[in-house]
Amino acid sequence: MKNEGKSAQRPDNTAFTQQRLPAWQPILSAGIVIPGFLIIGLAFIGIGIGLFLTSQTIQVQEMDYTGVEKDSPCFRCTIPSNLNCTCEVTFSLSTLFTGPVFFYYGLSNYYQNFRRYGVSKDYNQLTGDTRYFKSRSPEEDCSPYSYDSNNNPIVPCGAIANSIFNDTFELYQIINGTKKQVPLDGRGISWWTDYNIKYRNPSPVNGSLAKAFDGTVKPINWPRPAYELDLTDPNNNGFLNQDFLVWMRRAALPQFRKLYRRITDGDYAAGLPAGNYSLTVHYNYPVLSFDGRKKVVFSNVSWMGGKNNFLGLAYLVVGSLCVVMSVVMLVVYAKFKFSDDDDA
Amino acid sequence: MMFYDLFSGVKWEVRANDHYFHQSCRRKSFLCFRWGRYADNVVRSYKYTPLTFLPLNLYEQFQRVANLFFLLIVILQSVPIIATIPWYSTMLPLLFVLLVRGCKDLATDLVSLSFLSFSQSILLNSFHLHRSLKTSHISADLLLLCSTEPHSLCYVETADIDGETNLKFRQALSVTHTELNGDSVKQNLAAFDGIVWCEKPNGNLHSFKGELHWKGERHLLDTDHLLLRGTVLRNTDIAYGLAIYTGSDSKILQNCGKLKLKNTQVEMLLNKTVLVILLFMITTALLLAVGAGLFEHRVSPKYDVVSVLQRDSSPAYLGFITFWGYIILLSPSMPMSLYITFEVIHMVHCLLIGWDIEMYWEDNNSPAQARTTTLNEELGQVGHLLSDKTGTLTQNRLLFRQCFIAGHIYGLLISLMLFSPLDLSWNRFSCGGLKFSDQRLVDKLRERSSPECQEFFTALALCHTVMSEWRDGLPHYQAASPDEEALVCAARELGWVFLSRTRETLTISEMGLTRNYQLLALLDFTSKRRRMSVLVRDPGGQLKLYCKGADIVVLERLQRDWPLQESTERALELFAQGCLRTLCVAVRSVPEALWTEWSRTLSQAGTSTGNQETVLEEIYDQMEKDLTLLGVTAIEDRLQEGVPETIATLRRAGLKVWVLTGDKTETAVNVGYACKLMDPDTILIQGEELRSENTDRRAVKSKAALVISGPELAEMTKAPEWGAKFVALSDQCQSVLCCRVTPAQKAEVVEMVRKHSTSITMAIGDGANDVNMIKTAHIGVGLCGVEGSQAVQNADFALAQFRFLRRLLLVHGHWSYYRICILLRYFLYKTTAFALVHIWYSFYNGFSAQPMYESWFISLYTTLYTSLPIQCMGFFEQDVSAKSCLCWPEIYSIGQKEQLFNPLVLAITLLYSVYTSIILFFIPMGILQYSALDYQTLAVTVQTSVLLTMTVEVILHTKFWTKYSVAAVVFSLVAFFLSTLALHSTRLFTFVDITKCILILCIIICVFQSNVIDLKINMNQVNIL
Repeated sequence: MKNEGKSAQRPDNTAFTQQRLPAWQPILSAGIVIPGFLIIGLAFIGIGIGLFLTSQTIQVQEMDYTGVEKDSPCFRCTIPSNLNCTCEVTFSLSTLFTGPVFFYYGLSNYYQNFRRYGVSKDYNQLTGDTRYFKSRSPEEDCSPYSYDSNNNPIVPCGAIANSIFNDTFELYQIINGTKKQVPLDGRGISWWTDYNIKYRNPSPVNGSLAKAFDGTVKPINWPRPAYELDLTDPNNNGFLNQDFLVWMRRAALPQFRKLYRRITDGDYAAGLPAGNYSLTVHYNYPVLSFDGRKKVVFSNVSWMGGKNNFLGLAYLVVGSLCVVMSVVMLVVYAKFKFSDDDDA
Repeated sequence: MMFYDLFSGVKWEVRANDHYFHQSCRRKSFLCFRWGRYADNVVRSYKYTPLTFLPLNLYEQFQRVANLFFLLIVILQSVPIIATIPWYSTMLPLLFVLLVRGCKDLATDLVSLSFLSFSQSILLNSFHLHRSLKTSHISADLLLLCSTEPHSLCYVETADIDGETNLKFRQALSVTHTELNGDSVKQNLAAFDGIVWCEKPNGNLHSFKGELHWKGERHLLDTDHLLLRGTVLRNTDIAYGLAIYTGSDSKILQNCGKLKLKNTQVEMLLNKTVLVILLFMITTALLLAVGAGLFEHRVSPKYDVVSVLQRDSSPAYLGFITFWGYIILLSPSMPMSLYITFEVIHMVHCLLIGWDIEMYWEDNNSPAQARTTTLNEELGQVGHLLSDKTGTLTQNRLLFRQCFIAGHIYGLLISLMLFSPLDLSWNRFSCGGLKFSDQRLVDKLRERSSPECQEFFTALALCHTVMSEWRDGLPHYQAASPDEEALVCAARELGWVFLSRTRETLTISEMGLTRNYQLLALLDFTSKRRRMSVLVRDPGGQLKLYCKGADIVVLERLQRDWPLQESTERALELFAQGCLRTLCVAVRSVPEALWTEWSRTLSQAGTSTGNQETVLEEIYDQMEKDLTLLGVTAIEDRLQEGVPETIATLRRAGLKVWVLTGDKTETAVNVGYACKLMDPDTILIQGEELRSENTDRRAVKSKAALVISGPELAEMTKAPEWGAKFVALSDQCQSVLCCRVTPAQKAEVVEMVRKHSTSITMAIGDGANDVNMIKTAHIGVGLCGVEGSQAVQNADFALAQFRFLRRLLLVHGHWSYYRICILLRYFLYKTTAFALVHIWYSFYNGFSAQPMYESWFISLYTTLYTSLPIQCMGFFEQDVSAKSCLCWPEIYSIGQKEQLFNPLVLAITLLYSVYTSIILFFIPMGILQYSALDYQTLAVTVQTSVLLTMTVEVILHTKFWTKYSVAAVVFSLVAFFLSTLALHSTRLFTFVDITKCILILCIIICVFQSNVIDLKINMNQVNIL
């Protein structure tokens, strides 16, 4: 008893309280770091070369069709009064453009990442909840594209939906002077999560999607309401329209491209054969007011994605730096080791 | 109320046994409001009640600038027009911080609560009559009514109040003594119905004015009737008193000022850095707001998609709105949770100090104790150690080893191992324990052949304030100071036995012959007088004054041309060389006439007002002169175990050790050599040399130590600029010895060092005379010594032994400094790099305050993803092992030179974070920009890179991988990936983006890896060199 009382305040002798926890104490010695840097550097150079070479094999066909220059085919369509204007851009491929070919449209100087623009939509509405067709969840967000001048609710509301890209394209291969249409596949170009989870159509009323939109009006810039976005495919309408979904997933940078179609079907499953092509543009989307540019991009992909020299170069640069560092460290190490020997 | 008019200023009324009267006046409190006049006796060291906890704690927490800042941010975020990120992004971390902090406060409070109820085993109700038992702390300011001792005397020790260690007596009014004492004390007391009128509670410990009204009579009361809270009752079985001031009204608590909060250098630099970050943040937000204004002005009007959204607002207004948006967005660069982490780490480090078994002293069952929880890292930066000598370097267990009587030195200073005890069987009072060995003296005493020797020991047996207590037929002494105990015990062993004392008599046995001395006056010891005397009438009727005191004060009060001057001085020198403490003993025969006159002056002084202390001192001075020297005692105060080794190690660690002592120069110098403060070949610079101009050069050339005495110090400090010169000179010397310094001078010296050098000062001491010094220094360390707990109570750290200082500084201090610096740097790095990415992104989104991360990431980043690994590092990291810390004390200089946390290092850290943020944004952007890059993909890529980069950074900094560190890193990563999976719907990376993202991450990590490894190698090389 007495002993207990006497050493009552004696601290516990455990590894934790005495800071003697078993621990691994790696020491970055020259013997590990220099070869480590060398190996990492060489590996990175290897990856870099691989990436760079792969990137070189990827074919990209990019064409600006804004029509700034007077001699460009779409110049006449840039005049605002010229409605339903169509223009034709031709190009030729000297070799086979290996498939599957991805067909993008691109915009530059276009701020889809502007904060006020980005929040200008109503998620609740886009999940198909008809309660939010008439009222808005945060009332502010969609404004001023919330109600039209007659105070009818706009569905889908907001600036993003209203500003949807509405140029359309048709691609023809010119074989002996005749145009052969290249089938464009618009299925599955949107994100899987967008199509299957985030966006839902309202439940049809009496089997009609249009009735679900009763009491609402189309966005101001749209030619047709949401339930008539695709007249050819009744399943590609409403909030689940592929082009709509692609547009709604806003771009990160002011210069961006979005997937328009894929070329996967029929004669062109293996790619676009060498030859002359003509792209018919239904020119609707005005960009010149803010000095914007529009373009179309045809590209194929490899295991590393689209054409991208930057990634390969970055790997090469970092890899070379590692190698250089390892050499520098080796020199420094040798020098110090040498002088140590001298001292001894 | 007549009394009010009669005694203006006397406004405190206490009625004995009148419960109802006081109940109505009891001070009550609700929240922060208090009313009522009288405090109850429970000292509320705890702050909260269940009801007040929430409002009070929140109120306290929002007094912190950081918390308030973030509250403002949350408020800003709830304004829809500027809310760039949802309100919960900042709210979550803020709640987290408030919650942790609140829990901590509550826990500390609960601990103090349970501690309090334990220590207050006798809880007191206000204004009851109190009974205090022997050797118990008195728990309220009591008016002494009666005690079991004759004349209702009562001895108290006031060491905890004023630091004076001698016993003082208090006496009850004779009226209460005679009326209340007797067989039926309790009934008498219960019937006591006196009313006390006195001053309002105040902090003046040495004055009390009041009067007792009882049975129609008025009795004046003064401080002699008062038993103060905090004093210890000695030699009195039971004392009864009336509580006058209780609880927070008591004098000691009124006297203790608010604790000055000490801030460490690191913390001050941190605060400055945070301020810089804040300024940087505001400037950046301002510039970005200008950018936003320009964008609205130049670009937006042409760009109707955007301009429509802004609804005709002017660019200036939009810029203004954007400014606040960016303030919100950049606010994470303020390390909000840093302060709380900082506190938690400090607390854990304090616990670890208390848990260290190598700083636990078996003998008095005391572990080390960190009393202030904010100073840990400063332990690793101490540049000047200012130490007391007695009780700090030495044991303060005093042994009577030698004496000098009438030209002879008795006793040999030999090792205690070789010591053969004297045969003292002839003395029936002998208790043993005498480490004095000289048969010649014993023979002389027994033969009664040397009157000088007899007189010498009579003086020792009479001149003291020791109390005796009889157990098993032997006298046991209770002394307030160890010197006295040693001397009285030595006298007892050699046949001059102090038997007992009353207020008026002293009984001693001289070689078996019991004699009664009448005690006429006791001229007590103060640290200023440095001597004490007793005036007695011996059995023969002669008046004699026995005086005992420091040699310097006693020798100057001797008769002129005293004999044996030379041999005395030689003896003093000899004792000093042996590191012995000396006291001179002298006597004076007082003529009857002088005594009558003197006692009259004394009693007059007692009633006079004004500064009683100085008046008394003068009167005492008149009596203590024309003394005849009886002899000199030499007491050995042995060095504590491990002191020389500790000092040698600390000196190797680059600490300047200063010893401040009240002892005389020779003793101090010898102790200095003995404890390796100076090497044998060190040159001493003292006296005139200190003043000469070329001293500086000499000090540089050779090993030197400064020796300065109190009087010299007092004289020199008068000259301005002298302090700077002295400190500069001392920096070139090995060590500094300040001898004969008073407690106030000790503090002055500390103040001087603080003022004239940039280094951290640490003061260590054990006694009440060191309190000033301990409070003045950056860090105060108290040793739980023989001399009471005063020093410990005022100290930041408490140790049991001086040698533990080595571990406290070199191991705990170094680790704390290392851990905290790394932690702070990492914190600043991770928060700024995180926030800066927004700036780079704003160049691409029209300065629209678009966040780069998803909102859930912003809120979870500091709290969940990056908090644990760095905290583990703060707890467990060891750059070098404890053993290496002690083996190579040179490592300690890292902290002294502030190598790990200084403006340069901070600037580099911040630049590094800027660089990191550039890499973190531009590499993913560069790689992804030619693909169908959407905002979410970029955000997820960047935030994953941020998290991985920060984790890799912590991994590369960790040198000590415990299982907890591994678990923390794994937890953070798993938490991130799981929450990312949970917060996104399935299959986030469709198409081929997934391969690309992985490759991007690889490259980013690699860029950092190379940087950090490079940095580390450089550091290692520096360390090796």
